[in-house]
Formats: sequence, structure tokens, C-alpha cells
Amino acid sequence: MTEYILRTNALTKKYKNDYALKNVDVTIKRGEIYGLIGQNGAGKTTMLRLITGLAFPTNGSIELFENNDRREMTAAHKRMGAIIENPALFPNMTAYENLEVQRLQRGIPGRECIEKALKLVGLEGTGKKKVKNFSLGMKQRLGLAIALLSDPEFIILDEPTNGLDPMGIVEMRELLKKLNREKGLTVLISSHILSELYQLATKFGIIHQGQLLEEISAGELNDKCRQYLRIKVDEPAKGVNVLEEKLSAHDFEILSDGTIKLYSYLDDVHLVSRTLTEHGLVIEHLSQNGDSLENYFTKLIGGVENE
Amino acid sequence: MSNLMKAELFKLRRNKTFIVLMLFIFGLSTLLHSLIVTEWWYMTGTPFELTNLNELNALIFFTVPLFFNFIVSTLAGFFIATEFTQNNAIKNEMISGNKRSQIFIAKYCVFTVGAQITTIVLPLVSAIVVVKLVGTNDVLSAESLIYLGKSYSLFTIHFLSFTAIVLLFAIWTEDSGRTILFTLVLSIAMFLVEKFVTNELVKTIYEHTFFYQFTESFKYTMTDGEIVKSIIIGVVSFILIMLFGIVTFHKKEVK
Repeated sequence: MTEYILRTNALTKKYKNDYALKNVDVTIKRGEIYGLIGQNGAGKTTMLRLITGLAFPTNGSIELFENNDRREMTAAHKRMGAIIENPALFPNMTAYENLEVQRLQRGIPGRECIEKALKLVGLEGTGKKKVKNFSLGMKQRLGLAIALLSDPEFIILDEPTNGLDPMGIVEMRELLKKLNREKGLTVLISSHILSELYQLATKFGIIHQGQLLEEISAGELNDKCRQYLRIKVDEPAKGVNVLEEKLSAHDFEILSDGTIKLYSYLDDVHLVSRTLTEHGLVIEHLSQNGDSLENYFTKLIGGVENE
Repeated sequence: MSNLMKAELFKLRRNKTFIVLMLFIFGLSTLLHSLIVTEWWYMTGTPFELTNLNELNALIFFTVPLFFNFIVSTLAGFFIATEFTQNNAIKNEMISGNKRSQIFIAKYCVFTVGAQITTIVLPLVSAIVVVKLVGTNDVLSAESLIYLGKSYSLFTIHFLSFTAIVLLFAIWTEDSGRTILFTLVLSIAMFLVEKFVTNELVKTIYEHTFFYQFTESFKYTMTDGEIVKSIIIGVVSFILIMLFGIVTFHKKEVK
């Protein structure tokens, strides 16, 4: 049976007359890396604040680790780590002392976990340097160390790459992938930078104006965003043979109407066209198709705004 | 719960405001009592005179809400309120898997310990040390110890309610400046009621608050009935304010 780490049911948050979140149903299974995509102000942080118990829903319910009893939710938080908006740190303390506060709060025995967490995020050499003298990137890393300190099963990261340099972004991504792969860590990560999530998430939730527009797996999104050549010839079967034999192309699909979707030779359309014509085929249609992630997202949001 | 207390104590020990306040209060108390003991300065009309503890006269400063509210509210502002705004560290605590009531109580206990150290312990200890070293009063006689014990015990009971209110201000306002301002306004309001309000009903109500009991605690002659009444006022106020605080904290949304 699939274990659900998080399930929300018609989750709604209303501030006076405005809905920050409206009837959001999200499902995250164990081991998934769930990317929450949305523009600034879409409701991502509100949703994460509700899940972590920093705010309370106006309507709807939250189920964590298959439990929605409010008293059990507090216990469920022990199995989680989170960074919401900015890393919450004590500026006059060192990285070690910040982690010590968290260790004490969570009742984690032994201080070995602190050294381990610092090493994991590459902050083991910060010594007596106060957090107020850290760069934004170092603060983000420390925030991640705090979130990972208790060895959580589920981690929630709200825009965790803010302030990180390109190398830092790659390192964080690789670290999360590694923890997901090796320890089965389930991740809920929000960002408005699509390309960043695209390389990490296994499932996406697209949120706009407080509503969840779509939940889509990485595979489905890949299919939707994959570039291809759309070819329609007078003899589809012969066309397929030519592609296979003359161009050694095997990465294609044939649709029911005979249209061929060719996923290779995107940079050499002329070669495809010439080869097909040289073998006596009449090209009725040849075009490059497929969406970029940005286009797909824009279309989805545009569709809602035009409704 | 003990984990939370340990974490709060860890934070308190590293809190710069707490350290500065301790040094300031210790220095101020030592200075004032040294001036009195060496007869560079005279104070009269304090309850300490009645027990031949006139060399402890300067302690009266530290028992007046108009003075100690600055100490307590400053500590609340820079130890509690900043966690909600400046560094947002409260978020980590809220999602640490501990009950909100436990978080509130742990914060209250450690904050109150800090406030008591700065407001009660340090002035009293420094005063006793100065008087023992340079003064002539017998501060450690049985009579003195009974008086000081009774007075400071009652004062401490009422102080527990005061710190609970200041903690609430810090949580409500989430701002150190406003915490200090609100506490000051409350102390001034209570002072004005005590000094200027003549309406019998208001006066009676005021006399049944812990604010009035701060002064009463140091009365030399208190009957058993008055002591019991003072304890009941302190305990009831404390329970009510704490319950209100826990409920408020339960409903609080953190940005």
C-alpha cells in the first residue's frame, strides 16, 4: 500500500476578503520530491505555513503521515524539517550554537548530529564566526542543516536556493537527490524558478492565485515539454522505414492519424526533409513542436487568467 | 518540556541584553547602596527603615513597577519579541514537534528566571554584600531575614503575574520597542490609579490587583489575613494570566 506523507483536502486560507489559498488538494507519497511551482504571491508560502502549523486553515484539512488528528500533528512535526521563507537563525550565535538550540528543542541526544549536519552542508569550518557575518548563501545552508538535523523523513523547503551562487544551487540539488535516493527522504520544495525544480522534482504542483492548477509527474511534464519534429507524409509506413534505415532514427512515435513524432534530428530538419523527399515521399507537414517548461507554465496560467 | 527549557536557558545565557542588564543592575545597586552606606546619600520613608535595615533603602527602587518595568520589558523585547520578527527563530520552535502550550510555558519560565535575576536577585545580593562589607546594619539577623523573606516571597508571587503580562505583550506586539512602550503605559496607568483615582469602586478593584500588592509586600506589619489575601491575589492573577497567555499563543499565527 502506498504511504502518503502529506494529503490536503480542500485546503483554504482566507484573509479578510481575499483567498490566499482555495480548495487545494495536494498528495505527496513517500519518497517523492514534490516541486511546488508558482509566481510570487501565488500562495506557495501560505500553503507551507499551513502544513507546518505556523498558520491555521480557514477550511479544509491536512493529513501528515496518514494522520489528521491535531494532537497527532504536533508529533508528526517531529518527523519533519522545514525552512519557511528565510532560514530562522540567531544572528549573534555561531552555526554550531544555532544547531545546538535546535538539538535541545527537539531533544536529540548527543552532539554528533551537529557536526554531521554542518559537514553535510559544507559549513564545518565556520568556527566562531557569528551568523550575522554569514553570506545569504551560508545562511541558507545553515537553514538546511537545521532542517536536516533531526534526520527527518519529510522536509519542506521554501525557495531554498535564494541567495545561493550557481555552485551552491548545484550542491543543494545534488544533496537533496542523494538524501532522497539513499535515505528515502520525501521533499516538498517550492520555487518560482522553474528550471531549478525541473532538474530535481519527481512530481510538480502548479499553483496560481491560491489554486492548484495541475499536479503532474516529471515523466508527464517531460512528455509535454519535449521537443519533437512533427512529420506528416503521404506514406507513413515508408516514412518510418526511411527514418530508421537511412537516418538510423529510433526515437519516434506514430500517432493514429499517421503523424510521426521524431524526437531526434531537431537541429537538422533539412537533412530529414531532404532524405524523405529523395526517397519519393511527399511531405505534407514538417514542423518543430513541443513546449519549454516556461511556455507550458505560462500557457497554463494564461488559460486560467483568460477564463 | 525539559528540552525546551534547556534550549531557552541556552539562549538566555547567550542573550546580550540579559548580560548587559545584569551588569547594569548589579553596578547600579552596588553604587546606590555604597552611597547610602558611606552616607554620601540619604533616603528616608522606606519600609526598610522600620526594621533597622535603612542601609538597604535603595532596594526600594527595584521594587517599584515604574522602575522595574524597564528591566523586565527590555528583556522581554530583546529576548522574546525579537524571535518573532528580527530573526524569526520562533518558526523553528513552532515546527519542532512540541506543543504550543509547552513552548509558551518554557519561554515564560526562563524569561521569568532572567527577569527575577535582574530585578530581584542581583539588587538584593549586591545590597547585602555591600552592607555586610562596609555597613553597620545586621542584615542577617533573624528578624531581618524573616522580614526580607516574607517581603520578597510575596513580591516574587506578584512578579510572576507581571512577567506573564509582559510576555504576552512581547508575543502580541512582536516588537521590542512596542513591548517596552506597552509595559510602560500599563505601569504608568497603574501608578495614576493608585495616586489620583478617588472613586471607591476603582480603588477597591485596584487594591485587589497584583500591582497594588507589590507595595503591600514590603509593609512591615502585615497580618496573617493580609498575607493570605496577598497570596490568593497573586496566585489567582497568575493562573488567569497564564491561561489567557496559553490560549492566545495557541491561536497565534506566525508570519
